[in-house]
Amino acid sequence: MTDIVLRADGLAKTFRLGLLRKRVEAVREASFEVRRGEIFGYLGPNGSGKTTTLKMLMGLVFPSRGRAEVLGRPVPNREAKRRLGYLPESPYFYEYLTPEEFLDLVGALCDVPRRERRKRARTLIARLGLDHAMGRPLRKFSKGMLQRIGIAQALMGDPELVVLDEPMTGLDPLGRKEIRDLMLELRREGRTVVYSTHILPDVEMTCDRVAMIFSGRVRSVGPLAELLTARLLSTEICFRHNVGRLPALPAGASLRQAPDGQTVDLPEAADVDAFLKAALAAGASVISITPRRESLEDLFVREAEEDKGAA
Amino acid sequence: MNRITAIAWNTFREAVRNKILYSLLFFAVLLILSALAIGNLTLHEEVRTIRDVGLFGIDLFGVIIAIFVGVNLLYKELDLKTVYTILPKPLWRWEFVLGKWLGMLLTLAVQMAVMGLVLGAVLAAEGGRFDVPMVKAVGLLFVNVMVVTSIAVFFSAFSSPFLSGFFALGCFVVGRSVPDIRALAEKLGPVAKAVLNLFCNLVPNLHLFYPSGAIVGAEEVSVHRQFVGADYMLSATGYGVAYSIIVLVLAMLVFRKRDFV
Repeated sequence: MTDIVLRADGLAKTFRLGLLRKRVEAVREASFEVRRGEIFGYLGPNGSGKTTTLKMLMGLVFPSRGRAEVLGRPVPNREAKRRLGYLPESPYFYEYLTPEEFLDLVGALCDVPRRERRKRARTLIARLGLDHAMGRPLRKFSKGMLQRIGIAQALMGDPELVVLDEPMTGLDPLGRKEIRDLMLELRREGRTVVYSTHILPDVEMTCDRVAMIFSGRVRSVGPLAELLTARLLSTEICFRHNVGRLPALPAGASLRQAPDGQTVDLPEAADVDAFLKAALAAGASVISITPRRESLEDLFVREAEEDKGAA
Repeated sequence: MNRITAIAWNTFREAVRNKILYSLLFFAVLLILSALAIGNLTLHEEVRTIRDVGLFGIDLFGVIIAIFVGVNLLYKELDLKTVYTILPKPLWRWEFVLGKWLGMLLTLAVQMAVMGLVLGAVLAAEGGRFDVPMVKAVGLLFVNVMVVTSIAVFFSAFSSPFLSGFFALGCFVVGRSVPDIRALAEKLGPVAKAVLNLFCNLVPNLHLFYPSGAIVGAEEVSVHRQFVGADYMLSATGYGVAYSIIVLVLAMLVFRKRDFV
């Protein structure tokens, strides 16, 4: 059994819009792999090509170039779709159906036997906290409830791979936490989760690996920990200074008052040892030393700026 | 098959929960009931009038519902983005189109059955009968709406409901006028005649499904006297089914290649 559950290889999509058939390159080059059992974040600003990439992987949009494989089969493939669950962005469902009717329809499309469908629908409705709205048509559901029923329908076929397009959009902090917890739970169950988003704190809390897409081009792919620890921005030394004079600050360093003392920010790692020695010799007591590494936001902004520069 | 049935059943359920369809059905029933009043204005021709007005009502409203629902059938799925949830399921796109079409036919069958029942009750009230010719006439009208639905679905696979409705209505009007167009072609030059005949072969000959008053096999047929026989029913139904399948396959091919942006 392959360890790669999803592979995008040079995917690109050019749309031709309007009477003049104007070319719009929604995705220029998307290449990445998703491994079994991980939570994979597909990050990018609005309009960067996240949804178009996912639609190509789901067989809703045909790529102009490149190829995609889902669960070891070229897209689109019915056998792969059977083992896959998908939540589209800002999902719309048949609003005249109740949650149970809708999940029953989805179950039938996923070839789930009738008796099993009913059981699975009720379990999912309860799991996603929608049992109070069992008999209510979907048109009366709030945004958060629709998002939850959307996730329930993605899970109806008991999929190995769950692809969620912007699952946090429009949710309040509690709703976002519920979805995050659910994704972690899905990973614990051995499923692979891929989701697109531009909400970076959610990614930091959930993802094992990420890919970043800017202007239709995937720029960084890798484990979140690796991408973030690659760059040391500065070292913060917090200390209390009781007697004597403060040692001279190295070039580029800055000093600021902190609630329990003073904090020096040293951009160069090479300056840390020398400054520490001098500070201790001057009678300072060190409270903390914190290496300040690049946050996901820093990385995201840097990549976005580099992309702008390249364009 | 289970997947196609699921889509068809959902399409039927959507129609059943659509208030606009009830309004259309209400007006259709109203028109059939009005046949009672119109019949009473005639001298000893009440039953004949009720049959004519009733069949006209079933035909008119059957076609209106077929076009109205048919042109929205696929477009609505795209417009409301429900297709984004359904198509990533283990379902071929052609299965989706076929399921929608079958659901639509089930809806039309139920609607026409209701209209037929009302017409039967009205006829019974005036001492008439919903006899075999009437059953055959309603059966042919159902084949008629099946063809119109297929055309509406075909257009809705790539254009807006307004344009689809316009084209489908155009096909219906032209399709009903095929004998007149052929008669006109006979009076024209060879090139125009060939072009018009080719055109008549391409558009659906919907006149086949409303034969009352027409000459079939050198005899005038009528729901009031001698109506069409089993051989005509078979050939007309066969033609309607074959035409619908061809148009539906074209709709599937268009749908298969679409990007759902």
